[in-house]
Amino acid sequence: MKLNRLAISEEGFIFDPETGNSYTVNETGLKVLKALRAGQSPSEIAEALSEEFEISVPEALRDVEEFLESLKRFRLWEES
Amino acid sequence: MIKVAVSGINAVDNPGPGLGIIKGLRQGKIPVAPIGLAYDAMEPGIYLDHLVERAYLMPYPSEGEAPFLNRLLYIKEKEGLEVVIPALDAELPLFIDLESRLSAYGIKSFLPTKEQFRLRAKDRLQEVARRIGIKIPQTLAVTSIKELEEALSELSFPVMIKGLFYKALKAYTPAEAQQYFYSIAAEWGYPVLVQEVVEGEEVNVVGVGDGEGGHFGLLAIKKLWITSLGKIWTGVTITHSGLLKAAEDFVRAYAWRGAFELEVIAQDEDLYLVEINPRFPAWIYFAVGVGINLPERLLAAALGQEPERSWDYPAGKLYIRFTDDLVTELEVFQHMVTRGER
Amino acid sequence: MKKPYQKPTIVKLQIGTLREQKSALAQRVRFEIDGVPVKDLLQKFGSPLFVFSEKRLREQFRYAKRLFETHYPRVEFSWSYKTNYLDAICRIFHQEGATAEVVSEFEYEKARRLGVPGEKIIFNGPYKPRTILKKAVEEGARIHVDSMDEILDLEEIAKELERKISIGIRLNLDTGIYPRWDRFGFNLESGEALQVVQRIAAGGQLEIVGLHCHQGTFILEPAAYGRAAEKLLGFAQKLEEAFGWTIEYLDLGGGFPSRNRLKGLYLPPEVAVPPLSEYAESIAKALLSNLNSRDYPLLILESGRALVDEAGFLITTVQAVKRLPDGRRAYVLDAGVNLLFTAFWYHFRVDLGEEVLGPPEPSVLYGPLCMNIDVVEEAVNLPPLSRGVPLVLSPVGAYNVTQWMQFITYRPRVILITEKGEAEVIREAETLEDLVRLERVPAHLR
Repeated sequence: MKLNRLAISEEGFIFDPETGNSYTVNETGLKVLKALRAGQSPSEIAEALSEEFEISVPEALRDVEEFLESLKRFRLWEES
Repeated sequence: MIKVAVSGINAVDNPGPGLGIIKGLRQGKIPVAPIGLAYDAMEPGIYLDHLVERAYLMPYPSEGEAPFLNRLLYIKEKEGLEVVIPALDAELPLFIDLESRLSAYGIKSFLPTKEQFRLRAKDRLQEVARRIGIKIPQTLAVTSIKELEEALSELSFPVMIKGLFYKALKAYTPAEAQQYFYSIAAEWGYPVLVQEVVEGEEVNVVGVGDGEGGHFGLLAIKKLWITSLGKIWTGVTITHSGLLKAAEDFVRAYAWRGAFELEVIAQDEDLYLVEINPRFPAWIYFAVGVGINLPERLLAAALGQEPERSWDYPAGKLYIRFTDDLVTELEVFQHMVTRGER
Repeated sequence: MKKPYQKPTIVKLQIGTLREQKSALAQRVRFEIDGVPVKDLLQKFGSPLFVFSEKRLREQFRYAKRLFETHYPRVEFSWSYKTNYLDAICRIFHQEGATAEVVSEFEYEKARRLGVPGEKIIFNGPYKPRTILKKAVEEGARIHVDSMDEILDLEEIAKELERKISIGIRLNLDTGIYPRWDRFGFNLESGEALQVVQRIAAGGQLEIVGLHCHQGTFILEPAAYGRAAEKLLGFAQKLEEAFGWTIEYLDLGGGFPSRNRLKGLYLPPEVAVPPLSEYAESIAKALLSNLNSRDYPLLILESGRALVDEAGFLITTVQAVKRLPDGRRAYVLDAGVNLLFTAFWYHFRVDLGEEVLGPPEPSVLYGPLCMNIDVVEEAVNLPPLSRGVPLVLSPVGAYNVTQWMQFITYRPRVILITEKGEAEVIREAETLEDLVRLERVPAHLR
């Protein structure tokens, strides 16, 4: 998985050692990224977000999917 | 330690004056801790911690006065900022407008007034030149293709096509002139200026006006070698008496306050004013190097002290710009991106 | 208690765009307008919604009036109807003492309908239909002639009424402002104006009592008004000497800017737009230092935008969230260029109607029209928004509720927040009935 190669700082700074690209993520973005790396599914992640933050599960799921779209656009995620 | 913020620390192929100013401040007698103000996390000055003690990202001036002021006040709170020396064209109007408010918060500066700042418009050069007894290349303001054609019939090719504040392109044919007219009008609006090309030596003078008609030193130079972007690479000091007199007349006539640079073409005895820059040029370290530490004098003036005024310098001192390399950690970049400061 | 949520985002870092962004974003929230919560307004009146502040309208008018009056003894403000001719808005300005400045039959009739007497109306514009022109003459309006053909019309009307008519003439002149609005009125520098005046004098039916000019719109050079004032005054003195008329007033038109962000201007309006006081000083100085021994002529100003723009807001709501193929974030709003005609020339301030957390990203704001040109903003820095988030656009008080178009949808409500803080509808939302009322279907199509 491409996500495994990323250097992720707790401040939300992401460095891709293979391409040299850098990214930033916000607090929730960081959580989603780590959860994806740990192999969790989007719906599991959405539930976890809803648990911790002021957000419903369906809304969180839509946002996680949008986040995945971004990762795909940056070629950091492939449909398995 | 005086905490001084300096912008223009983008020492790239079109460099800002910031690092030259900071080198001058560090070589001066007033102990300083320079703080770099940057508009991008990759501005080289951020990474040069032997020159720039602390670095902060700034919002663009175009984003509004309030965010800009708030950011400066934040830096004031964190660093105890005392003086700011802005060095970029785009931010100057904001700093000039904010000068009294910043001063009330304890952040001093030494800037031209709004009225002085307006003199840099190319359609004001005529009156400035007349007042200080020099010429300007024949210049016609045009706002339509018809007026452009009329202007071209009065001048001979090549001509300069210029925007009111920025951009200057040399046109050799009517078609080129028309093309440049459209592109400059689209980018910088009207009027567009059509100017005769005066053959001669391109010379420059830098100085700091005291706001009362006097100055804290002048330095005249000639650019010997310029890059493809038109930036000085090597230069030499000159003591062109007519040029220095014009600069003194300029300062006296307008009671100029703060840094300025005049760009002039010298043709035998005649001088033609081409541009007024209301700030230090990128080669300001040249003045420091020949013993006229204009950045330090400007700092003293901002602090309300009486700066030195002597400005004897020899002709024939050489200025050499060179490139350098630095290898460092990604961490600084990371901090600038995530925290906006280092 | 759960933590406040922000949409998870990942942003690729692009060198050259990595400036500080939080300071600007912190400014970008507007929960209320004159104390009335944006949320409540939307709930009660729907989205989109134009909102005007009576307090701001009156304050700005009083400020401008006081400012000019402290510099010059005789000033009249004439409300520029075309800038915003909603009844309630006009009434506020008339209550404050403004006369009416109209440029068409419709505007003239609207002003009369609002109870403005003819002599308190200035009738400008390049085309004044013959019937309304005669009516305006009969009712004593100040007519500013724009062309020779209009002079011929007025001479005919004078004969019909068997009396001399007092008029003003519109001049166009070089004050250093580009582009020059030289299609209106008569040119001063070329001598055209003087020729026309000689022709008027020779006709013996008309007399000139006022001079009018209007240099353009959103003029950022206060000195240009000084030059205009000086030239008008010089011309007035020439006319008085040569023809024995008394030039009672000089009308310098409008064109004063608001604190809006004109496209192509890099600096923010706080810095780029000179304060109104500089305009007042420039005009007054030019008049007072050139008056000689003459009485003070009345100074008329037709300011529109500078009085109304900043009192108007448009609340709109995010209806769809998109990602464009080039990666930019885009939002579809329920208000577009159909309601915001001035979006073609200005970058509005975009405030969030509720707090939204998250890193800002340059975003495109599209309107609801099925047209490619319907773009409200090309790139405005916004945190990640979800559907339903309200945005407050400002200043939008000038020209939008006159130049808006009905194209494919209904125009929304316009409300006024009164000085007491109550929200009153001043124009209802359009309905299907309103729009089809004027249509007629021939029998064979029924």
